[in-house]
Amino acid sequence: MSVKIPTSIDQLPNSNPRFIGQEVNRVEDPSLLTGRTQFIDDLVLPGMLHCAILRSPHPHAKIVSIDTSEAEKLEGVLSVATGKDAKELTNPAPTAPEGWGAYCLAADKVRFVGEPVAAIAATSRYIAEDALELIEIEYENLDVIVDAHKAAQDGSPLIFEEHGSNVMMQRVFTWGEVDQAFADADHVVTEKYRWNRLGANPLETYGCISKWDLLENSLTLWASVQSQSHVALGRAVVLGLPSNKVRVISQPHGGSFGGKGGFRGPDIAAILSRKAGGRPVKWIEDRMEYLGGGAGQSWDRHYELSLALTNDGEVTGLRVKLLDDLGATAEAFGTVSAAKPLAAFVGCYAIPVAEYDLTMVVTNKLPGAPYRGMGPPPHNWALEQTMDVAARKLGLDPTEIRRKNFIQPSQFPYIIPSGNEYDSGEYEAALDGVLEMSQYKALREEQARARQEGRYLGIGVVNTIEPGVFDWNAYAIVGVQGTGVPEGVTIAIDIMGKITCKLGFSLEGQGQYTVVTQVLADYFNVEMADIEIVYQDTLSAPPHFGPGGSRLGVAITGASLGAAEMLVDKLCTVAAVLMQTERENIEFMDGFCRIKGMPDAKMHFAEVAGAILARSDLLPPGMDPSPQATFAWTAAGRTQADDQGRAKSYLTAANACHVVLVEVDIETGHTEILKYFIVDDCGTRLNPSNVEGMTQGGVAQGVGAALLEEYVYDEGGQLLTSTFMDYLMPSVYEVPMTEKKALVTPSPFTPLGAKGAGEGSMHTTPAAIMCAINDALSPLGIKAHEVPAAPNRIWSLIQQARAGESR
Amino acid sequence: MDTTRKIQMNVNGTSYSDEIDVRTTLVDFLRVNCGLTGTHVGCEHGVCGACTILWNGNAVRSCIMLAVQADGSEISTVEGLAPGSELHPIQQAFMEEHGLQCGFCTPGFMMSIYEMISRNPDPSDEEIKDVLGGQICRCTGYQTIFKAVRSAIDKMAAANKSAAQG
Amino acid sequence: MKPPSFEYADPKSLDDAVRLLEEHEFEAKILSGGQSLMPLLNMRLARPELLIDLAKIPDLDHVREEAGTLVVGGMARQRALELSPIVRERFPLVYDATMHIAHPQNRNQGTVGGSIAHADPAAELPALVMVTDAEIVATGPDGARTIAADEFFVTYLTTSMEGAEILTEVRIPALGPSTGHSLQELARRHGDFALAGAMATVTLAGGGTIESGRLVLFGVGATPIRARDAEQLLAGEKPSDALFEAVAAKAAAELDEPLSDVHASAEYRRSLAGVMAKRALAEATARAAV
Repeated sequence: MSVKIPTSIDQLPNSNPRFIGQEVNRVEDPSLLTGRTQFIDDLVLPGMLHCAILRSPHPHAKIVSIDTSEAEKLEGVLSVATGKDAKELTNPAPTAPEGWGAYCLAADKVRFVGEPVAAIAATSRYIAEDALELIEIEYENLDVIVDAHKAAQDGSPLIFEEHGSNVMMQRVFTWGEVDQAFADADHVVTEKYRWNRLGANPLETYGCISKWDLLENSLTLWASVQSQSHVALGRAVVLGLPSNKVRVISQPHGGSFGGKGGFRGPDIAAILSRKAGGRPVKWIEDRMEYLGGGAGQSWDRHYELSLALTNDGEVTGLRVKLLDDLGATAEAFGTVSAAKPLAAFVGCYAIPVAEYDLTMVVTNKLPGAPYRGMGPPPHNWALEQTMDVAARKLGLDPTEIRRKNFIQPSQFPYIIPSGNEYDSGEYEAALDGVLEMSQYKALREEQARARQEGRYLGIGVVNTIEPGVFDWNAYAIVGVQGTGVPEGVTIAIDIMGKITCKLGFSLEGQGQYTVVTQVLADYFNVEMADIEIVYQDTLSAPPHFGPGGSRLGVAITGASLGAAEMLVDKLCTVAAVLMQTERENIEFMDGFCRIKGMPDAKMHFAEVAGAILARSDLLPPGMDPSPQATFAWTAAGRTQADDQGRAKSYLTAANACHVVLVEVDIETGHTEILKYFIVDDCGTRLNPSNVEGMTQGGVAQGVGAALLEEYVYDEGGQLLTSTFMDYLMPSVYEVPMTEKKALVTPSPFTPLGAKGAGEGSMHTTPAAIMCAINDALSPLGIKAHEVPAAPNRIWSLIQQARAGESR
Repeated sequence: MDTTRKIQMNVNGTSYSDEIDVRTTLVDFLRVNCGLTGTHVGCEHGVCGACTILWNGNAVRSCIMLAVQADGSEISTVEGLAPGSELHPIQQAFMEEHGLQCGFCTPGFMMSIYEMISRNPDPSDEEIKDVLGGQICRCTGYQTIFKAVRSAIDKMAAANKSAAQG
Repeated sequence: MKPPSFEYADPKSLDDAVRLLEEHEFEAKILSGGQSLMPLLNMRLARPELLIDLAKIPDLDHVREEAGTLVVGGMARQRALELSPIVRERFPLVYDATMHIAHPQNRNQGTVGGSIAHADPAAELPALVMVTDAEIVATGPDGARTIAADEFFVTYLTTSMEGAEILTEVRIPALGPSTGHSLQELARRHGDFALAGAMATVTLAGGGTIESGRLVLFGVGATPIRARDAEQLLAGEKPSDALFEAVAAKAAAELDEPLSDVHASAEYRRSLAGVMAKRALAEATARAAV
């Protein structure tokens, strides 16, 4: 049957919805709050061993020899693995683009500091770490390349000799008559930007237990993974197992933000399990492993961005040149982050033509991984900051230049030059809302007064698009295949009328189990306590992907509503028989199958479900006695990418406008955030407090990006920020308490009109803070175009400016 | 001088004893030897605060403390906050104010907050910040945690008042 | 991140502790609060054969006032300073310095003696010792001896205590009359070690001139640095921004090349030290005037 999914709350079969759209308590919380939720490291299996991994101290070196004999002799050590085992038992990691992956244990050479070279499974982690110290490895150092510009040059040391180059991809994507636009422009503004490596750092690192059953030749993997089906497929490829012999069980996990890849760990643990006769092997990545060798480093980028402008500030063309340093391999899927900006390339603006000159290189650093926002946050900063530079040049207020260029509400759905379609939006209303909330004029006056006193206040006004509900076609330019990301659920009603919803992802923090519970409680007009969410592993669940790409809230709502519609259709069919009428006379409302026009002629869904299960004598012939339905949702209308990467990819375009007031201490270079205001429009808010949590949490990560977080490698390829003493996570002191307001422009395309909402602040906050800092420093003629704006960095710019003045 | 030692401690009012390798960290003892996995490990170098527990009533990082140092001590962990079916007011406040997302850091936060309110039932905003400053949360951005603390303080004050009147 | 194997001893008396330390001088490490040592153990960057835990030794954790001097046992927790009414009321600079140490969860465990003996040049308590001219009591095989602040810090993480000595007490004099104090530091985050910091005390004479001042810079050298030459410029002068600027500039200029790391270049640290010194002198003077 074709299923029609409600696109607004008032289309639900409930005359008085009580849960959806409300700030209900989360169903996840009681277990989390009492310490009972079982995270991966809480899981103990019979016979379980503990893995520790020996990692390369060299960024680029040949492995001459490995001697594990002493380690093997240590009491408590059950198995040892090296690159030799990896080569024999596994395949290199699959990548996009293809051919830039490596074995899970370095086979012949190491390509980055922290690369796994050997591993131990022992009866405790303590003993496993002791054994690592007994392994002797001889290396022969190779020339090291850590600078992306140099890596791209001919004659640079090669990281993958077989490719003959460190350039993974170099291509210019042109969307429209860009040269013409720039030739015709009254003004061209070109600026360079540097975004340094940072990353997800969920409070729980990655962890897994691999169990390789030698008789069945199957792998069971318990893990703190975000996208279990994707991970399962990867393991099948790497370990050479049939896909239905890999079962991934995703434990609830302590945050992810894209950085829960744990790449290589599951495969290493699998080899150790196999060599230990199939005993389960647990690997818990420790924090130093996460920082130096995990899926926690993202976006190491060099930008040059140009705007073509008319005299009155209309932007007529956009050019973005990106040199993206992906680190040593493409196996952690950082490459897709370079493709995602296509989904919102021109931001909130009706820029008619654009060009993307993209170069991706490998260097001797940790492979780049996804992180919240998946690529656009640096792009957005470069775009928004250049808008400010242009405004200054043309004598416009930052709000004016934005207002002149907004895509207007009447233009939706709107196709941007890079091919994606924006569903809906009210960008000017969001701007007006936040200007009013922040009393923007008063802020400018405050800034002027402060400047009289020799204080440097700055205001950032930034608006962005958050592409929501990702699709694989968004990443076609880096070689990702496919269109559609099915997310499925099964809804079942038991003999007592209670409802279960089975789905294929575990807890991660965004509260999706609560959203499903809200949706179904209102759909069936029951209490939330009457709905039970049941997690299913990769071999049990319907097709699924789980959280990722600001997608799951919308997708799981669609899946739940689709399955509910299917199930209710079946209930109504049976009810018609039971009430001796035709199917088309039956409607479902407020939990009852009722005869249209006869409000009292009705049966409760539980009664009908009970009949399906226990009164086969009453059922229509051929009906299966199963009051359950499975439905997988994917966004409609997605298209295959063309040769320039253009596709309708992300289904929704949420919008946010942030205003931030900062003060820069010009004696120290230190930035303090004084005030922060947000208007955010992600369509219908399924659970407003979930959205608010996503928004504020994204602000915190944005503060980290703008001011604190940075992975620093020295010229020799050594990581200098390898602990939480040096990789600086924002605390309550650095994160501003924000004033927030919602604007609601529902999506016409989605279940209940909701849009993706998980990444918006990460898209916006770094740019907002950086624009504010640049605003503060503009009287000194300083451009702060490198993040994070660490005090040392800002101070140096101030010193340079002063040296320039005195010359 | 030993490399192993028999130790005993009371955790949430229950006595646990075991012969352990002296290098065992307190958090590993609680999680592995006592089976109390509500206390989480986030960094193992004393920065993130996920492993915060109460040691004789004081909030400390159990990842940078040896189990032998806690020999003979009174330890409280998240499992001790709500032993029955009712949530502790701090837990209730976190739930109502959405003070958690993934929940991994939350037990550490709650133990720190518990200590603070035990010392001073009416802390200033600065005192609250001082305590929260020692706990890292990657999800929430702290705003709802701050609200949850204020709400917990009110709930506990109300409970004390009604207990006093009763 | 699990510690390597070691032996553990928790002596019940100071004599026993000193004896153990004497026997195992180069292989042993003292465990007091563990806030610096334990991370190093977990990272396997410290590899002692023996850990000597001082926690079971009686009478090492006192916090009391004796004739205008704050007397603190080496094993007193930093939190005990923070919570002591004596400290809060009569030793405001001690209170201030303590509140800048990491976070309550660290101060609950970290000890006063541990922090001073560890001698991290960016830490607050070593700088406090220097700016207050405190005395340190070290107990070793030959009994206890008193070490003046100036004689105590030798270089990075190194003090003048002998191998078998234990820091058992620190004696911090109260600030005199008409004396103001200030602690200024810049850290990347609240509670982190300072990129650079300054502690100052300023004593005013009658007529609004400065009688004397003390200035210590921290986080900028191998030890906390008392800027004695620069201090001399204060005596007899009328307080002014120009004076503080000059004193701070001299103090900063006379520093040896400061440490350079990912968070701060040597050049930046030197500049920052000057800014912090200037602000500390100004605040200390303002407080003295009240």
